[in-house]
Amino acid sequence: MSLKSSFIQIFISHIKREFLINFRSLVDVISIISFMILIVILFILGIGPFEEKLRLISNAIFWIGLILAIIPSLEKTLQRDYDNGWLDQTITSPTPMELILLSKSLAYWLIVIIPLVISLPLFIVLLKISLKLIPWLLISILVGGLSISLIGIIGSALTLGAKRGNILLPILIIPLIIPILIFGVGISEAVIINESPVGNLFLLIGFTLIYLVISPFISAFLVRIAISR
Amino acid sequence: MLYLKDVIINRGSKIVFNNWSAKIENSKVTIISGKNGVGKSTLLRAIAGMIPLEKGIVKNFNNEIFKDKIKWGKNLIYIDTKNGLSKDLTVYENLKTWSEMKGWGTSDDDLQRALDSVDMLNHKNLYVSQCSEGLKKRAALSRLYLSFLFDVEFWLLDEPTNELDKKSIILFNKLIQKFLENKGTVLLACHELKLFDFSYELLNLDLLKK
Repeated sequence: MSLKSSFIQIFISHIKREFLINFRSLVDVISIISFMILIVILFILGIGPFEEKLRLISNAIFWIGLILAIIPSLEKTLQRDYDNGWLDQTITSPTPMELILLSKSLAYWLIVIIPLVISLPLFIVLLKISLKLIPWLLISILVGGLSISLIGIIGSALTLGAKRGNILLPILIIPLIIPILIFGVGISEAVIINESPVGNLFLLIGFTLIYLVISPFISAFLVRIAISR
Repeated sequence: MLYLKDVIINRGSKIVFNNWSAKIENSKVTIISGKNGVGKSTLLRAIAGMIPLEKGIVKNFNNEIFKDKIKWGKNLIYIDTKNGLSKDLTVYENLKTWSEMKGWGTSDDDLQRALDSVDMLNHKNLYVSQCSEGLKKRAALSRLYLSFLFDVEFWLLDEPTNELDKKSIILFNKLIQKFLENKGTVLLACHELKLFDFSYELLNLDLLKK
């Protein structure tokens, strides 16, 4: 078996493992979605019965809710495998750490994004998002979600073994996520005023591609440091 | 022959091994002993490639092992007290994902036999979160059997017998004897030397690290 094909198999088996772990105990997945619903509902109740106000900021609420809901679960992506020794096992295997972490972030992306897409109709109803936005919203959360999980794995690797990781992580991560918020909201705003959202979308895709390239290397570097301590 | 030459190994800011050299015979069991905190685990983790050497080289015959990490990763099995089992998966699934991670295409039969080698076949569908410490350790040690099917030269085991009962220690001894027949090398950090019924070299860090 050539090395390249075995790497692809290892990559797929890692994604399968993450799916098995996360969808077996649905707690994490459900907590993300329910947390996001709660954040959105808090905003709506805070605004009061003024539909005009809600219409102005509904996109921002959606994105802020998404980001805030994802962040608490990011820490666990690596911490769990660090605590039980799985990362020690992967570092003493022939597979490069970069590949393993890339598969981990892709798996995490799918695990978060699938339930989110399923629950999207709920958010559309709650936030009174106009129907012409839906395809663009779908594309932007797919792309934006990927970059959040790629950035998240860096943060997760950075706080491995740290005592207050769950507090440190959001502080480190949120500044990096700001561009996603800006481009994501930008896409929706452009559609609302009948302009082309393609510019913003390309910026978002470009941003994600940069992280797709650098995230595995940075996080593998950080994981190696954490393991060597 | 695994040959460590003038190695400096740091753990955090503490120097654990300072310009230290040692030879480890191939196709034999070497037991690393010494008092707590002397650096048994650190040595194993450094040889496994988890702790980078500050200075010095580790050679397996004439090959520097860290030059080709992919080859070295295929060549060893490292098991420590953390086991590396995910508690949300069953014993069987853990072994399966582990062997896939090593890049080994194992069949269902191979995995069953591996679990049978440590008498875990009855517990194969048990979630690791439900396992006792001893069962977890046996689940981790079932990986060792897979090295008879693939080319593995080294076992690096950090206190593998801690939670094992008498019957499991006999099974563990059998695994090691079979591995020695296959010309494998075992590096074992342990306090209890009475448990083993095979001949071994002793690497006493208390005496060697001066």
